[in-house]
Amino acid sequence: MIQKSLGAFIAALASALVLSGPVAATPAKEAPWLPEAAAYRLTLFLANLEPLPWYDVGTAWAESYRGSEFAVGALAWLNGSSDIGPAPLLNAITRKDRQAVFAEATRLIARRIDEELDRAVMADDPARAQQAVRTARELYRAFADGIAAADPDASRRIGLAWLELNSSTGSAGVLGAGATPASRKTMEAAREVISGYLAENYLVDDFAPRRTLSALPETVVLSGRTIEVPPSLPPGSDMFDQDPLPRLVLNFEEQGIDETDLPLVAYGDMLFDSAQIFGNPAQDLGVACSTCHNRSDVNQRLFIPGASHQPGAIDVDGAFFNPIFNDRRDDPIDIPSLRGLRFTGPYGRDGRFASLRDFTRNVIVNEFGGDEPTPFMLDALLAYMLEFDFLPNSMLTPDGQLTEAAPEAAQRGEAIFNTPFAALGDRSCASCHVPDTNFLDRQAHDIGSVASAYDGARTGAMDTPTLLGTAYTAPYFHDGSLPTLAAVVDWFDESKALGLTAAERADLTAYLETVGAADEPYEAFDAENTAFRLAFSELTTFASTLNTLLPQRDAEHILLLTDTVAADLSADASTMSNLAARPEVYALAERLAEVGAAVRGEDWVAAEASWAAFKSEADAIEERAF
Amino acid sequence: MAIHLNRRTMLALAGAGAVSLATPLAAQDTALRLAFIPQENPEKLLGDIEAITGWLASEIDVPVEGFVTIDHAAAVEALRNGDADISFMGALPFVLAEAEIGAVPLLSEVYRDAPSYTGRIFVRRDSGIGALADLRGRDIAFADPISESGYLYPLAEFVEAGLIDGPGAAEAFFGRVFFAGGYQQAMQAMAEGLVDAAGASQYADLLLTPQQQAQVTWIAESPPIPSHVVIARPGLDAEVQDRFTNAMLQLNEPENRDKLRYLYGPDGYVRADSAAYGGVRDMARRYGLLE
Repeated sequence: MIQKSLGAFIAALASALVLSGPVAATPAKEAPWLPEAAAYRLTLFLANLEPLPWYDVGTAWAESYRGSEFAVGALAWLNGSSDIGPAPLLNAITRKDRQAVFAEATRLIARRIDEELDRAVMADDPARAQQAVRTARELYRAFADGIAAADPDASRRIGLAWLELNSSTGSAGVLGAGATPASRKTMEAAREVISGYLAENYLVDDFAPRRTLSALPETVVLSGRTIEVPPSLPPGSDMFDQDPLPRLVLNFEEQGIDETDLPLVAYGDMLFDSAQIFGNPAQDLGVACSTCHNRSDVNQRLFIPGASHQPGAIDVDGAFFNPIFNDRRDDPIDIPSLRGLRFTGPYGRDGRFASLRDFTRNVIVNEFGGDEPTPFMLDALLAYMLEFDFLPNSMLTPDGQLTEAAPEAAQRGEAIFNTPFAALGDRSCASCHVPDTNFLDRQAHDIGSVASAYDGARTGAMDTPTLLGTAYTAPYFHDGSLPTLAAVVDWFDESKALGLTAAERADLTAYLETVGAADEPYEAFDAENTAFRLAFSELTTFASTLNTLLPQRDAEHILLLTDTVAADLSADASTMSNLAARPEVYALAERLAEVGAAVRGEDWVAAEASWAAFKSEADAIEERAF
Repeated sequence: MAIHLNRRTMLALAGAGAVSLATPLAAQDTALRLAFIPQENPEKLLGDIEAITGWLASEIDVPVEGFVTIDHAAAVEALRNGDADISFMGALPFVLAEAEIGAVPLLSEVYRDAPSYTGRIFVRRDSGIGALADLRGRDIAFADPISESGYLYPLAEFVEAGLIDGPGAAEAFFGRVFFAGGYQQAMQAMAEGLVDAAGASQYADLLLTPQQQAQVTWIAESPPIPSHVVIARPGLDAEVQDRFTNAMLQLNEPENRDKLRYLYGPDGYVRADSAAYGGVRDMARRYGLLE
């Protein structure tokens, strides 16, 4: 399934978007976080992790954040654009004084806003004043969500002040035409609204100790009120689906069976895509199973600072998702593919779960802090996931032999793959990656790829991964430490002293690439066969389980479905190519929400009516849903 | 201040044209110089310029240099004095540059299959506002006072509807008129309830969160506005113009489309049709920007 539970994440991301620079006549682009604002948000995020990754905090200020369009980090940026020195902040980082880091970083950002506001007010032409206002406002992003959550009235006052401030800068016009002068008095009054609030809340000498660091205003913290700031990910995070999108191969679908005729599978498909089954912060951020496992495969771009050491990797038992499950070990793993899941047990990179059901419950309850799933939910999830098949590969027979379509180098490599090596205890590659059992042996082996956790530890054994489909799941090994299949071959050759020649290594690599290949690894989209059409098809399929659940009056599972699918349908409409049809999709989402509202009110007649209307309207707009 | 083309300015323009005509070949001997106007992070733009000028140089077999100007006026000045041969520009600045220095349109940007777009008046769906007249006495945020789709064209819809006498009378109709600084800021102000409506590009709602997008709608839409344009200084050698234009049109080919992201991210380019900018010229006159 395509990932549809990113609504909250996209919301968090988009709410941070600020168009920078002059108005574009065409669709505008989002502005990146300014370096110091990004470093501040990263600092808050990282400093809430335990153990606190101090090195990463230092890096947050010294280097540009991942994906930044700015070539330099916050310190260099400040050096070139500000008179405010970072020494107190750097000193606090060196001392590893969490509270001092918070105080110094917060004051630094507040001072930077004031510095830009000074520049705006003193600018002698509108263009420079507007640039300074833009910069100040982009820096204000660092505090905006905290103020909005804690002090909506102030948030509104400040929002209007930004409007007033920008409007009163005047305009340089175009080539001198249409120029209007600035209104200094109005600018200064608007600026005072902003600066006054900063002075009271972000420029204070002594901040109260904070258990959780956030951008909450100090006066609100001192009031003792409990304020929940919606969770957000820091700059540099990436939870969007990988592009190109992996192709999903479902066993029933390949046999021509319609998912709408398999309500348990369809419900499991929905759950796999639902953030509702997890707890916070995953739920509010829109994290679902499919966030990491795009279309049953991997998400090579997923990255969360502090939880990922590289794209496509995540530490799910760290401090972020479920503190009670925090193992206090910095051990992110490369996201494994779930293709062929019913053949790949035991589960977990180290094969710690024999049961997929136990593994799945552990993911929901422990890794992501969700409520205990009902037996029906686990049944549904398993029913769906057990349909994941490997990608068809015409260069490989079902029992793992190369076909004539395989290149010659791969044919030569196959012989090497099956050759026993003394250095491997007279075993071959094929001893563990058994060709006629999907290139795995369902056992865990310590091949020396894991650093010893302590003297005498026997903790390096990892579950043998399948080689099928691996041409598209780089990097490799449990920690993603090897970037290519060629690197994997080199690692074995060197660490096990296999003595392969360069030609043999190339042949063995060709074999792995052939075994790991697929006829159609990715979804193919075009002008009308868009990712949204795929999402629309899947979401309406999910909804089809109401045909089963409504007659059963199963309110709990109906509401889980309607809450998930209505929100996803509405959020996904923002990705439509056919913008003219968006209102119809919004209306359809509302229709499904009406089903949920009726069920909450125990009005089953109304629920049935809304569901009937949904089906009719979905059919009517299907052709335009792209 | 409007550009008033009197006899003296016309003479000055003629002089500028002569100067320009005298320099192009010398300029091409060294490099074709492209002026870019920052729309976002200027630092990223520098990287983009390096990438696209390198590709263009290999395509047209002439050295290509790019530089960033502070604004449209500086770009036009660069075209006038021969420091730039070609510039990327909005429709309104183009028609003013055309009038002032005789700038020549070469290419128009294409978005979603059209070299044009519209401006819209957006409101929150739950606002109860269904028509422009409902905005009497209410607050509105526009993007910028010199933005085609973010002010001039949306405001003209109120004039067309008979609600506003002319461009200078907006304050009498609305409660407050704000210039938010950009599409996204104007739309965000509307979506957050700071103002009742926003005037912005037809695509500006895509800058809101997916949840916010579902909560907003639009109640009026302007006629098509020609999209951004790539212009040349008057007197630029015709062959150089052709080679440059043809190379840019190669960006429409699938193998080159990834390079469009270095150029403000359009979906492609078409040859510019000067007549298509007639509406912009009329609009500029209506707002007193052009005589």
